[in-house]
Amino acid sequence: MALKDVEVKKKMNQFLYTVVLLAFSLPIITGFSLLILSSFSNEMVTNFDFLKTFLTLQNWKLLFQGRIALTGGLRENILLYAFNTLIVALGVAVLTTFVGTISGYAISRMNFKGRKILLIMMLLLHALPGSVLIVGVYFLYRVSMPTNYQFIRYFSFFYVIIARAALEVPFSVWLMKGFFDMLPWEVEWSAIVDGASRWKVWYRIMLPLIKPGVVAVLIFGFLAGWQDIIYVRTFLIDKTLATFIESNLETEVAYMPLLAAAATFYLLPTVLFYVFSQQLLFKVYAGGIRR
Amino acid sequence: MPRVVKKFDSRMIEPWAFVAPALIIVLIFYFLPMILTIYTSFTPLRNWNISRYAHQIVGWRNYQRLLHAILNDPSVRAVFLTTFVFVSVTLTVNVLGGLLLALLNFFLGKKSSSLINTIWLLPRMAPIAVYALVWYYFFHGSKMGTLNSLLLKIGVISQPISFGQEFLPLGPWSVIVFVNGLVGVSFGLIVLSSAINSIPSEYLIAARVDGATDWQICRRVLIPQIKWHLMYVTTWQLLSLLTSYAHTYLLVSWKLVNKTYASPWALYVYDLAFTGVFDQGLAAAAGTVLVIVGGFLGWFTLKILGFDKLMGQPRGDL
Repeated sequence: MALKDVEVKKKMNQFLYTVVLLAFSLPIITGFSLLILSSFSNEMVTNFDFLKTFLTLQNWKLLFQGRIALTGGLRENILLYAFNTLIVALGVAVLTTFVGTISGYAISRMNFKGRKILLIMMLLLHALPGSVLIVGVYFLYRVSMPTNYQFIRYFSFFYVIIARAALEVPFSVWLMKGFFDMLPWEVEWSAIVDGASRWKVWYRIMLPLIKPGVVAVLIFGFLAGWQDIIYVRTFLIDKTLATFIESNLETEVAYMPLLAAAATFYLLPTVLFYVFSQQLLFKVYAGGIRR
Repeated sequence: MPRVVKKFDSRMIEPWAFVAPALIIVLIFYFLPMILTIYTSFTPLRNWNISRYAHQIVGWRNYQRLLHAILNDPSVRAVFLTTFVFVSVTLTVNVLGGLLLALLNFFLGKKSSSLINTIWLLPRMAPIAVYALVWYYFFHGSKMGTLNSLLLKIGVISQPISFGQEFLPLGPWSVIVFVNGLVGVSFGLIVLSSAINSIPSEYLIAARVDGATDWQICRRVLIPQIKWHLMYVTTWQLLSLLTSYAHTYLLVSWKLVNKTYASPWALYVYDLAFTGVFDQGLAAAAGTVLVIVGGFLGWFTLKILGFDKLMGQPRGDL
């Protein structure tokens, strides 16, 4: 009997387990599907009353026209909010990736005094999310705010990006260290022997070798910035999709299916990213814990 | 050999140039805020009126007020109790749920298992506002709410129930444990799945040849091999539950759940400083307590997980 012939995963039980797992997943599937379905419906279908409703694209139309209620003149520029969210997400992605790849390299492949303290510090900060320090972070925001009123808006973008990226930095450094750890030393040695500086080695040799890692951290950072609500609502003066949904659910005039459309629209990039990079993201979320 | 000498010099500074970006971020966004938080906890700062209050020092007054509130104010005591129940119950749900899913998932074929992963990663990846909105409709206290409409249809209840506002404190507790529990389960699922998948298949083949059932394989082969990862998930999740509050914040602000019985400590801090009474002095004191507790737990976590071993020196550095 060849080893291949041993049925480690029994076909018979697989069906049963799939059914059990799907049953567990039912609330998640139901919740998200009803929300998405409601965005294409004239009324919320969260109560399963499909018969009283009909399919329509009205909500999406209104959403992009910037009308948040069926009647009345309330106008909201949803595309601008999406753009604001995108700026924050891209900013966080680029910053976390830059810091992670550059500092992760040194921690992984250079031996220097203070390296161990730095590593412990990164791990401890990763374990203790910086969001508990938000009072201090906001204090800093207030005292460093420019006096020129026009600049405050840009400053708030700048600040929210760095502050939000800072939350992910310990993890991204730790994660990139893991990616650099896996690279063989021979390439690096031969480049150094040939007279290349560590910067050159990092930029020319190491970075191209860990492209998947860089992409993974980019996506991870993007999703972190894209999904954020607390930092955005605390620091950013302009609205994003998150604060748009937050503030509109509180108002009485809110037209629910339209909010469902806004939420579906907001969810779309996340789903797209996920579809294209599932394996990679899975590695990232599981990352930094090899033993 | 002049070249070696030159290299030696640059090697002293070079690493620090590489770690400078991370170091600067950590200094400005972790150490400085920590000092500012501790400092603020000794000032009467309120309404973010920094120019007026930030220069006054009131000693331990904010800590005394906090202690007094914990001892005498029922709503603050509720926060304390909620934190304890929320963290411990959600942690149990997270770890056991994650383990169960990871084990079941292991026995599935590639396609089904990646489908399950996709579904369960959604709560973690979805924008927080969207995820909270999903559960807002699910638990909504009217006929529109999904859970209410189901219960009405099968005739268990005759009137819609406001799950998060009635049945204090169990109602709101259940809702926040459920909502945060699903997010945390995916963490356990991912970490434990990847740990299980890295177990050499010879173990499993040997066990199967000896006639082991799925249950026996789980008990005797898989779980013992992922003990360290289970501990990792437990301690990490404990810290993250203690310090994160974004999902709960939205459910509270949308009035889906009762504020008093759905505010864990971290949310209480945020609420004091940014949405409620704008008492930053008191918020900073409460925040400092959380940082100390969290910092201690974090340090303890690293110790028991034996992270020292992960800090080995780079073997190939010239």
